[in-house]
Amino acid sequence: MRSYGLIIPGSDASRFCFSSTVASPTVTSKSDPILRFKPVTRFPRASFKTKAAVQERIAADMSFYELLGITESGTLIEIKQAYKQLARKYHPDVSPPDQVEEYTQRFIQVQEAYETLSDPRRRALYDRDMARGLHLAFSARRRYQNDEELGVRGKWKNRWEDQLSELKRRSMNKDAEGNMSWAARMRRQRERMSQEV
Amino acid sequence: MALSACSFPAHVDKATISDLQKYGYVPSRSLWRTDLLAQSLGRLNQAKSKKGPGGICASLSERGEYHSQRPPTPLLDTTNYPIHMKNLSIKELKQLADELRSDVIFNVSRTGGHLGSSLGVVELTVALHYVFSAPRDKILWDVGHQSYPHKILTGRREKMYTIRQTNGLSGFTKRSESEYDCFGTGHSSTTISAGLGMAVGRDLKGKKNNVVAVIGDGAMTAGQAYEAMNNAGYLDSDMIVILNDNKQVSLPTATLDGPIPPVGALSSALSRLQSNRPLRELREVAKGVTKQIGGPMHEWAAKVDEYARGMISGSGSTLFEELGLYYIGPVDGHNIDDLIAILKEVKSTKTTGPVLIHVVTEKGRGYPYAEKAADKYHGVTKFDPATGKQFKGSAITQSYTTYFAEALIAEAEVDKDIVAIHAAMGGGTGLNLFLRRFPTRCFDVGIAEQHAVTFAAGLACEGLKPFCAIYSSFMQRAYDQVVHDVDLQKLPVRFAMDRAGLVGADGPTHCGAFDVTFMACLPNMVVMAPSDEAELFHMVATAAAIDDRPSCFRYPRGNGVGVQLPPGNKGIPLEVGKGRILIEGERVALLGYGTAVQSCLAAASLVEPHGLLITVADARFCKPLDHTLIRSLAKSHEVLITVEEGSIGGFGSHVAHFLALDGLLDGKLKWRPLVLPDRYIDHGSPSVQLIEAGLTPSHVAATVLNILGNKREALQIMSS
Repeated sequence: MRSYGLIIPGSDASRFCFSSTVASPTVTSKSDPILRFKPVTRFPRASFKTKAAVQERIAADMSFYELLGITESGTLIEIKQAYKQLARKYHPDVSPPDQVEEYTQRFIQVQEAYETLSDPRRRALYDRDMARGLHLAFSARRRYQNDEELGVRGKWKNRWEDQLSELKRRSMNKDAEGNMSWAARMRRQRERMSQEV
Repeated sequence: MALSACSFPAHVDKATISDLQKYGYVPSRSLWRTDLLAQSLGRLNQAKSKKGPGGICASLSERGEYHSQRPPTPLLDTTNYPIHMKNLSIKELKQLADELRSDVIFNVSRTGGHLGSSLGVVELTVALHYVFSAPRDKILWDVGHQSYPHKILTGRREKMYTIRQTNGLSGFTKRSESEYDCFGTGHSSTTISAGLGMAVGRDLKGKKNNVVAVIGDGAMTAGQAYEAMNNAGYLDSDMIVILNDNKQVSLPTATLDGPIPPVGALSSALSRLQSNRPLRELREVAKGVTKQIGGPMHEWAAKVDEYARGMISGSGSTLFEELGLYYIGPVDGHNIDDLIAILKEVKSTKTTGPVLIHVVTEKGRGYPYAEKAADKYHGVTKFDPATGKQFKGSAITQSYTTYFAEALIAEAEVDKDIVAIHAAMGGGTGLNLFLRRFPTRCFDVGIAEQHAVTFAAGLACEGLKPFCAIYSSFMQRAYDQVVHDVDLQKLPVRFAMDRAGLVGADGPTHCGAFDVTFMACLPNMVVMAPSDEAELFHMVATAAAIDDRPSCFRYPRGNGVGVQLPPGNKGIPLEVGKGRILIEGERVALLGYGTAVQSCLAAASLVEPHGLLITVADARFCKPLDHTLIRSLAKSHEVLITVEEGSIGGFGSHVAHFLALDGLLDGKLKWRPLVLPDRYIDHGSPSVQLIEAGLTPSHVAATVLNILGNKREALQIMSS
């Protein structure tokens, strides 16, 4: 099942452990009301917040704002300051030796948060997704953005491929007896004549 | 030919030559070029300041240098006809497209012509000729100014240096030129109609070829396109319409201050189509649902799919769907893979009915100067490919178009009711100047001359003073509106007909030969023509002053003669129905109409050495005729010759009619008309066309001498 770039399959378990819960059929605490009668459906939904709530709160669950420790309306200067502080704290070179792994991950997350929030366009996109309740995993977001940029043309391709298959389907019925258009009558006539020959 | 040259696609980074080899982009038969490629790339990198023909390749990259000599085109050299393309792979087709593009740039740089539009359809042309088999399959190009790649690929490559010149290729498609040009175009929005006619004809005759009509989004603003689509949807005959959407509607595609946003509500619908983000999730949902449920639900799901399709595809495509055309798109018009895939699919489907493929292109694509220019290099004179600078001729006087615009601005400064209307020709009619000065009083209606005239009539009903600036040849489209909506009701609409008479390189499609004839036969119309630019200023003022009936005036392509302009560009209204005598003479009177008067003046000086001092008069008005002037000329001269750059039935006929009714032909007067001949004059340089038409000063002088019996001297003049 295609996951719309929200989750990267096969990625780091600690960060994306809610990917495994999608596979589990039991986690349907907030099923989509329309499809309540289909408990086993692996139906893609807008909000993964429910699944995230099931496990313990992990770093990936925090929004970028929470991670950086600023409010949602933080200015660029605040973002920068927060980033610098946290970067200095979590940088692998200065982190305490027993927590290097965890701190490095944090550092990467902080960096990504800064990249997203400091770019106004990406920040706007992120804010929009947050409003929709989408809590995207970190690097998945990056993928999704790239998809979006070249996605316009890609979306076009998907669309016209659909249209072509629809055209094929329609052409089956085009010359059925019911179609009384001029050209359909001519085509039927031609068919009959070529069959006679 | 420089061996170290090569051609590259615009998007390829110069450093990726190894990548190119890796992907097999460089065809194997030219492997010997790869180290030369490397060399030339190296030289490209260093030679930023070096220009000129010194062996730099004509690559289409951004920092590219352009060849003054013909760029090498190995693949294009082997492709003379579409059939030679059939065995090429997709990669080779891409290379062919790039070579074709550089060839178009090179050719147009030497001859001038329409560049931007041709560059935008290079990939489309290649894809069409690859998938379809012209000339059995009919490919129609609307307007035809984007057909340069088509001509190159269909056996006319060696003659491209003659395009738009005397005895050379036409700048538009022309049936008599090649069997691959299935329909002559020049005016817009005709291809869907013609294509439908060809499709229905094919059905009636039982043939099995394809019909493809390429039409632009600008041409789509004309009503005829909808008339045709409406009919196509009804008849349901198999045909393909390709909508070439580049968001350029008006010509040139820019005002004086920058690019023009496309005119009309349709353009926004088309762009919504492009940016529409379909609710794919919803469709996936539906698919998932039906998969789970299965069985009979599939039919229901198909129905849902159809309805959803209308929702998802956006309002623009529903327009075409409602007209009965199956909409596919939008498609990236510069991606050969996509184009070929779609065209192949549609071609292989047995019965499609009419299909509309919405292709999105960029005008001027592949030539950075064109891409960045506001007018996208729509129509250019000869230019230098390396710098993109056009070689503009230097003239002392400006064009009649510019004078008209200035005159109208001067009138509009004083009179707040004056408004201007044009049909997507802001630059061609000079009304871009008017637009800059009076942004709210200039109306661009898109390519819709009929609507423009009736729209002007409506404005006139409300007491405004509309000036309709439409080319003489395009006015033909709006004739019924002129007769029925304007003249019959005697509404004071003013028609400014530019490009009257012969027009040079554009040829008979744009020639304004008939406007005197069809305007002067209307009962209420005032018909006049200036003989020089000062007269043009006065006639604009006269037209502004005529407020109780429609009026029109015609002026040619070209520059003024150099007379003094009225002060402040403000003309003085002339007395309606009064001509003037320019030279007093005897025996022979030349009565000229419009700029033909200049030829008359020149002819007068040609016959002077032969001892003849002839009269030259400027009629100014064809309707109402200056009866007094004509009577006096007829009574005091032996010969009266009327000269005009129009077809039969125009000024000369009106004069003859009057002479006959007045009894002036019952005496000893000899009357002779000089008009355009009864055939279409092919494109060429204006001077050659005039010779072909027989309206040069030499011709006029020879006519004078012939009538007087001095045949020998007539021949002398003609052969000098």
